[in-house]
Amino acid sequence: MTALFEQIVNGTMMGAIYVLVALGLVLVFGVMEVLNFAHGVLFMTGGYLCDVFFARLTGNYPLAVALTMIALAIAGMALERGVFRRLRVNVPMQIVASLGLILMVENGAVLLFGPSALQLTVPTVRSLVRLGDLSFTVQHFVVIAAAAAAIVALYAFLHRTRLGTALRATSQNAEAARVIGIDANRIYRLAFAIAGALAGLGGALIGPLFLIFPQMGDLPLLKGLTAIVLGGMGSIPGAIVGGFAIGIIEAVSTLFITTDYRDLMVFALLIAILLVRPWGLFGVRVRGDI
Amino acid sequence: MRPRAGAVPLATGILFAAAVYLSPVLFAGSPYVLFLLTQTLCFAIIAIGLNLLLGYTGLVSLGHMGFAGIGAYVTALLMKYGMASFVPALAAGTLAAGIVGILAGMPCLRLRSHFFIIVTLAVGMMLFLFFNNLDWLTGGAAGLPGVPRPRPFDLGFTLVDPRRPVGFYLLAATLFLVVFVFQYALVRSDFGRSLAAIRQDETLAASRGVDVFAHKLTVFALSAAIAGLGGALQVLFLRAAAPQSFGFAEDINLVLIVIVGGAGSLFGPCLGALLFVALPEALRIADVFRMVLFGAALLALALFAPRGLWGLAVAAIGKLRFGKSAAAHVGHS
Repeated sequence: MTALFEQIVNGTMMGAIYVLVALGLVLVFGVMEVLNFAHGVLFMTGGYLCDVFFARLTGNYPLAVALTMIALAIAGMALERGVFRRLRVNVPMQIVASLGLILMVENGAVLLFGPSALQLTVPTVRSLVRLGDLSFTVQHFVVIAAAAAAIVALYAFLHRTRLGTALRATSQNAEAARVIGIDANRIYRLAFAIAGALAGLGGALIGPLFLIFPQMGDLPLLKGLTAIVLGGMGSIPGAIVGGFAIGIIEAVSTLFITTDYRDLMVFALLIAILLVRPWGLFGVRVRGDI
Repeated sequence: MRPRAGAVPLATGILFAAAVYLSPVLFAGSPYVLFLLTQTLCFAIIAIGLNLLLGYTGLVSLGHMGFAGIGAYVTALLMKYGMASFVPALAAGTLAAGIVGILAGMPCLRLRSHFFIIVTLAVGMMLFLFFNNLDWLTGGAAGLPGVPRPRPFDLGFTLVDPRRPVGFYLLAATLFLVVFVFQYALVRSDFGRSLAAIRQDETLAASRGVDVFAHKLTVFALSAAIAGLGGALQVLFLRAAAPQSFGFAEDINLVLIVIVGGAGSLFGPCLGALLFVALPEALRIADVFRMVLFGAALLALALFAPRGLWGLAVAAIGKLRFGKSAAAHVGHS
């Protein structure tokens, strides 16, 4: 029982990270039908930038996280303008471009920061929270709380502001949105900026718990992709539920099976759900699309 | 006059086959080059398999090395434990990959475009996890060494011995050409034209009486089977099966081979295989900086060569031969 509770907390923490990645993917996909397979390098860049801002510049972790998010939002906009806007119709080349970006950024990180992983020691990693027999780092709860705050802020933005409403409108029906005067390019830029900021937040949050290294974004990307398919095409609630579900399932499954097969559980679950509901848990079935 | 789309004149075909068979004569002095060329042929077979799906049907699969792995491990196990000789073992590997392709295709093909990509990625990862962790069967992460090469073939006038480098090259070349001709025939058949119709407009194809799901499932199984054949050949060549040869990095490599070479063209994947098997050899001693440049080259290619290198070459030749207007017509065949 104690072990189960421990794995649920761990899983919720990892799930929160997956949600941050999945939300960025789903926002961009929703408005422009582009999947950025290089999304993981934004996550990784978040980890490295947070290290630069915290350890080398400010010494203030919340400020470093905020600066990281701003920097990654700008990077996201640059990616949209320079690369993905031009590749909207060419799915195979989206993959090639993403792989090119991954190679450039991951190896660029090695050039700039050296091949060994960085250790980002923030105060919240050193102090522990005791819950009965268990103890977690404060950072575990910082991750969960920050992700929850990001989700609430995103919801408020999407539902309470004009720009957020325009983004949802574009996601629901791009043509109709254009008819009523929404500038599609501006929405694409916005979606990429939010996606970049959320990925940067993820990297900046997980960096202190694990290490910061060039491939640190690969697994969160894979799980984020799985989460958005599990949750349903272009569905934001789906991405949230999918991300948390994957985090918790993989953490709890380690109690029953060896870690070798942990990822297998997640993928098998994905395929099982798609057999029953090809449009995902929260997706809307589009006639003729499935 | 504009050449018919997809047509390979007989002369070109004979020239191509001759070039493939005669390469070892040119490079007889260099076993290293022969090794690379044989590797290229194995990869080209897998790439042609994926090309049927990715290029001609428009379905991007990121898990095809998993099917290649099924073919590889089935053939390797049968050969290693002496349960079958070369031809039945190869056939069994190919068939097994095709069957796994059907099983995987059924859930995957219910999804479209990007979501199809992600699910095939998940399938590839699952297959890799089996290769990597079923220690009692596949040898796990350590791999499966000691896979024997096929016995010599007696062709009447000469003996081809696959245990020697040139012999194996000739075997691989023959299988490669068979697969290439199969690709050519399939693309030009009614079935192939239906696939093109599905790629261009699925709804329209369905409304004209094409059973979209059945076509997709058939081509998925075929392409998985061909990938399995290529994987099996590769393992026989290397005399060992290793899970890393069928992992995610190789999946990426395979997709790059097909797309960068030129998806949806007959020669594009072959060009890609040649490039991407030779290039990592050149980049093997590469420092990090060269990988950055390689990434930049891929990015540039994605932005400026939407139909891959073969498409770029065809457009350039078309421009030279027919002027600018004709170049625009030479396209996705």
